[in-house]
Amino acid sequence: MDFLMKHVIIISLLAIFTYADNYTFLVKPYQKEIELEAKIIAEIAASSLNEPLRLFIPEMSKLEKSVYAQYATLSATCEDANFIFINKNIDANSICHAKNTLYFTNNYRKLLSDERYFGAFFWNKSRPNIVFIQRRLQARHIHLPSSFEQFIESIE
Amino acid sequence: MTLRSLWHKSPFYFFIPTLLIAFVLLLLLSYTIKLEEQIGRKLFTISTSDLFKITQNCALQVENLLHEQQDYVEALKNDVTLQRRVESYLKTLLTPNIKYAYLVYKDDRGIFRFLSDASNKEDKAMINQKLDVESPEWFRIYEEKRPVIIHHTLLHQLSLTYLLPIQYDHQVQLVLAIDFSIQKIEEVNYVLAILKRGIVGIMVIIGVILFFLILQAIRLKDIRKNSFIDKLTGVYNRNYLQHYQDLIQLDDYIIAALDIDYFKKINDTYGHDSGDQVLTQIAQTLLTSTREKEDIVIRYGGEEFLILARMQKNDPSTPLNIVEKLFSTIQNTRFVLPSNESIQLSVSIGVNLVPQKSRTFQEAFKLADVALYNAKSKGRNTIEIYDESGHKDQRGHLSLAEIKAAIEEDRLTCYYQKIIDVETAQISHYEALLRLFDHENRIVTPDKILPSIQGTFLLRNITQKVLGVCYQQLRLHPKLCINVNLNPQDIIDETILSLLKTYAQDPLIAKRLGLELVETEDLVRKEKAKENLTMLKRLGYQIFIDDFGSGYSNFIYLAELKPDFIKIDGSIIQKILTDTISFLLVKNIVTFAKEAGIQVIAEYVSDEGICEQIRDLGIRYAQGFFFSRPESASSLCY
Repeated sequence: MDFLMKHVIIISLLAIFTYADNYTFLVKPYQKEIELEAKIIAEIAASSLNEPLRLFIPEMSKLEKSVYAQYATLSATCEDANFIFINKNIDANSICHAKNTLYFTNNYRKLLSDERYFGAFFWNKSRPNIVFIQRRLQARHIHLPSSFEQFIESIE
Repeated sequence: MTLRSLWHKSPFYFFIPTLLIAFVLLLLLSYTIKLEEQIGRKLFTISTSDLFKITQNCALQVENLLHEQQDYVEALKNDVTLQRRVESYLKTLLTPNIKYAYLVYKDDRGIFRFLSDASNKEDKAMINQKLDVESPEWFRIYEEKRPVIIHHTLLHQLSLTYLLPIQYDHQVQLVLAIDFSIQKIEEVNYVLAILKRGIVGIMVIIGVILFFLILQAIRLKDIRKNSFIDKLTGVYNRNYLQHYQDLIQLDDYIIAALDIDYFKKINDTYGHDSGDQVLTQIAQTLLTSTREKEDIVIRYGGEEFLILARMQKNDPSTPLNIVEKLFSTIQNTRFVLPSNESIQLSVSIGVNLVPQKSRTFQEAFKLADVALYNAKSKGRNTIEIYDESGHKDQRGHLSLAEIKAAIEEDRLTCYYQKIIDVETAQISHYEALLRLFDHENRIVTPDKILPSIQGTFLLRNITQKVLGVCYQQLRLHPKLCINVNLNPQDIIDETILSLLKTYAQDPLIAKRLGLELVETEDLVRKEKAKENLTMLKRLGYQIFIDDFGSGYSNFIYLAELKPDFIKIDGSIIQKILTDTISFLLVKNIVTFAKEAGIQVIAEYVSDEGICEQIRDLGIRYAQGFFFSRPESASSLCY
């Protein structure tokens, strides 16, 4: 009987493992998208700054914090940061206005309408999109590597 | 043979269908994988073909709308009415499955930009807004000018994108794109998954059933194996025979039935425990005396055993020798009882040498049993051989059974032929020659006896008999010298050697008993044979090399064997007067022998001319019809 049970358990385990891909609900939701976003923002920020990155994201969730912390040094306050990424629909005026701080948004319309932002990373048609405005880059003396060339727009 | 009977014969036959089923399952699995791919493709086509068609119509409408314009891009950028109409066309494409529908163009920098977007306000792209595309496939449409389907593996919310070119003057001006949400593919995959799980489930069930069937088969095999083994003795039992007797190839075996003599007395005298212990020891003796892989030992009844000894094509005598070996091993073994006493036992054996002449195993076994019955009738402790006729074969050779019977019935004797010293014309030796009286009291010569028993224990028994007869003559007549013919096997046979050692205890016997051997490859190559010959010479026996000059003759080996006499082969002597080569051969042998200190005997001296010639050549001893024919012991001169 023991022998029989042993084999039944082994077969059951094999069947469970075969369908293991059905159990992805165990992984945190949207972690992949946030990871991608964090990597891109960290890369953009590092390329835009001439000093070590101190990233601030307002109203950061726990998940965002844990993911972003893997790719960038996070700043607890807006004042201490040298790169601010506003990825939520919040009032931009509530954010501090430090002179040498770079502002980045996740909204194309905000990018166009608000001079503070020199670029945006956003999801367009479910695809990641990056846009830099050439004039604002020049105003901030930002020299991006050539790999970013395709993302620079000469919007007036 | 029916499947049922196959199943009963061996679980092996069960494994073949099991393997076949496993193979079919593997094929089925591979087919299922292909089927899944095909069904997937088909489901995809069914669920998207209409949408693709509608999109193509939409593209056609846009193209018709713009066909009067030379530059579609500029026309759309500058004409708001045109933009609205195009957008209204695109909006008709949106469904729960088509997430986005939009019109883009590629600018001079190779960047895709929106011209129209059917999305709602929040998601709507602006005119000329850049679209970062994720795949180089987007650029392919400008080269191929045909619709392109892009399957997404990295994007979370999109499953595929369908791109349609809108051309002006055979140049792609615009690209109409629709993005499918993952919902559609998920629906397809869901159907596929149900199908896949169903098939896998069935296969798992079949696999589990097969697994348990194999387990059962292994268990059955073990149970069956145990049911074939006799628990007391550890050899096969009667069940084994009943199961496999139809599969036994009668051509391959000889059948020996063995019965322990007076076994009942052992049980009655020492008790059943002793009887059991004796049976166990007998069985072990049988196992050790037989070949593990070739021969089969079966306990057939209480104290009856059956031995199937496999015949070998190039050595047909081996099985019979095995039977003889186990017979003598049992004779020479002391069997220990539980009381630590030991007893000696004998067995009776009936052998069927020709089972292939029987139609069934049972018939062949019965004949072995008949032989066993005869062995018991003759007083037990013997091997009785059954062969088909018990008569001579076509060449007049006696059968084994007949020869064995003659030995047992003491119908063997020796005739003696003189060997003459030609210098003195006196008798130097006699050569003992085997003779057998058949049932009609006719004399049978060795050429009718020896071919049948070459390699068997009967040949050794005959040598023993001849040595015994000659020994008696030597004892009776102290001046008589007799030569006995030995076979090469006799020189390495412990029984014969032991007998010769016993005779040599009387020095007057050894020096008068000459041992004649044919020089064979076996004799000169086997170190043991050479050692034994040296030992026999040391014991006082004179060694004669028989038939020298024929067959395997070599002066170097002659020097190694150091015989006292060589007997030049009769076929050479017979031609000595007519054939120069024979003459020269004899002359050289004589010269060599003189140099080596070996005496020479000429055989087949049939007339005076040959006698004169050999005398001239310096051969001292001669034998042949010119002097005498072989005669019975009564005519011996002593």
